[in-house]
Amino acid sequence: MKLYVKARSSYRSDLEEISIKKELKQKYKLDTRRKDDFIHAGILGALRLQEQSEVHSCDELYLTSGVGNCNIVQTAKESVYDNKEIMKLFDFINILGNTTSFYVAKALGITAKSLFQISDNFTYFHSLINIYASLQHSKNEAVFGAIDVVSEDISIIKRVLGVEASVSVVSSVCYQKLSLQNKDAQAELEFDTIFYSLDEVLAIIKEEDIQVICSQRCRALEGVKPLVFFETYGASVVNELIEKQENALFIECYNEKYKILKIRAKV
Amino acid sequence: MANILKTSFLSSQGDKLSTLNAVKSAEIEVQTREVLAIEGEVKIPYYSFQVRVEDTQSAIYKVLRKQVASVIQELTAAQRAETILLVGTSIIDWNIADAIESTKELYASKKLSIDSYAKELSEEFGLNGYTLTINTACTSSANALLEANNMIDAGVYKRTVVIGCEIFSHIMSSGFNAMQLLSSSTLKPFDKERDGMVLGEGLVAFLLSCEESPWEIKGGFSNCNGVNITAVSPEGDEFCEVMEKAMASAHITQEQVTALKAHATGTPSNDLSEINAISKVFSSDVKFTALKPYLGHTVGACGLLEMALFMECVDDGFVPKTLGFEQGENENYSPMLENMACKEGTFMMNYFGFGGNNTSVIIQKKQV
Repeated sequence: MKLYVKARSSYRSDLEEISIKKELKQKYKLDTRRKDDFIHAGILGALRLQEQSEVHSCDELYLTSGVGNCNIVQTAKESVYDNKEIMKLFDFINILGNTTSFYVAKALGITAKSLFQISDNFTYFHSLINIYASLQHSKNEAVFGAIDVVSEDISIIKRVLGVEASVSVVSSVCYQKLSLQNKDAQAELEFDTIFYSLDEVLAIIKEEDIQVICSQRCRALEGVKPLVFFETYGASVVNELIEKQENALFIECYNEKYKILKIRAKV
Repeated sequence: MANILKTSFLSSQGDKLSTLNAVKSAEIEVQTREVLAIEGEVKIPYYSFQVRVEDTQSAIYKVLRKQVASVIQELTAAQRAETILLVGTSIIDWNIADAIESTKELYASKKLSIDSYAKELSEEFGLNGYTLTINTACTSSANALLEANNMIDAGVYKRTVVIGCEIFSHIMSSGFNAMQLLSSSTLKPFDKERDGMVLGEGLVAFLLSCEESPWEIKGGFSNCNGVNITAVSPEGDEFCEVMEKAMASAHITQEQVTALKAHATGTPSNDLSEINAISKVFSSDVKFTALKPYLGHTVGACGLLEMALFMECVDDGFVPKTLGFEQGENENYSPMLENMACKEGTFMMNYFGFGGNNTSVIIQKKQV
């Protein structure tokens, strides 16, 4: 299966020191009321993508996340279960996953399909497969956003992610405009449905002879690994490789199952 | 397009057979639950499971497990290994809540998310390992079904289990109550006197594949188009779009729709938009019904639960009448007041929810 990246946008909290809310208000003149940090992050990434590429109303929107909106679940739990209070109306609305996709769709002018979806350990890979299958059916293009926002209490997101206390967890928002057509593409993404074993991965690495980038979960593999962690790291790798115009294999792992994404961004 | 091989469900009226019997007799049990309101705890009508399922991870997993087991029991190990699992739900992610609560250092253990139910079910039953959980409010499981259909149609996977899940939640119930969307009495879809929805619980599993089955997914369409986060326009043009594009994807016209299952929440605004949309897309002889008076509004599960019940009724030879309707706002478009004899045909299933998500699915029962 192949998808082509037509445009991309990135935000990483460890690489940019900005107030997302202020950026939305001042640069994009956006009304930030009634929305929380997770939604703001999703909208910022989308608007940055729109600066790079035309987004059509018929483009399909797919948003994914490693864990979703932690802060709003915490707010809901504390008000309803701990304090026996009614949630604020907009906190209740914001707890629905598709509230984020609604505001992102509105910001982009998309009126077609819009999904908020999570796949536990391979959320970026599995969303790519879903997008590929859907585009085969609709022949449209897709806007794909991967949103990870750290919780106000950093220990919470580390427990949800199951990473060690010493790991540096950051917020990341990466968008890609995806198509089945390679015309004007910035990169080609090639992937499959196979869960590979370590031995199979090692054999592929040997055969391919290109740089290998791994997520921090790939403990048994040698290769470029990030110093920080977020679940949708694959989305960030794709955008970075496009920036550098490089090719690579990106490898993700969980429970000794591996997924491989071939990224060709070299001109 | 994929075929629907098996369904299994649990509703407030019991299992598949008990629910069918309740529909046939029109004897529907509705309980009450207490929810938080400004004035303290208030009782609301609620379609609860007969045996209470707690809103906890372990309780939810246990009941989901039973539905999945029911639809995959005849699959061989090899077939299971090529079966993926998709979930549509709007339940709160208690995996996150537990991490918030935890005083332990659970680092470097399991990664958790709302999709963890699917991941664990997939591992327990030896399924493929591809899982995906979709949350688009009331359209969640209908959208999961369409995505599953796309994967089979594109030849990416051979077989898919799709789950819909909704369990009583204080957060959801008090939220809808605060929005003044809940009825204080009974569901009255499309009726002039309707005063809101009655929430309910539902668990449902579908097995889809290309293998022969009397039931086929013929097409569908989903959009994200609302005037605001909670509503579409009163004219219902956003609903018209999904119905028309769903029929186009199934290569049918409105005359070929044997019957339509409306979303019909019983709220003044949603029903108004929907009846206006139906009147624009269909001629006045369209047969349509609402199933929420039998099941309650099961939010994330309603996409599959209402479809499964509808299929069960047609397999039994009828399309059920709409309970709770007396007089509507559009005299030319009234839901069915009597059961309609029906053993086969092409049917439209509509789901219109929060977040601008609207979905229409076309299913067909072929002549056997």
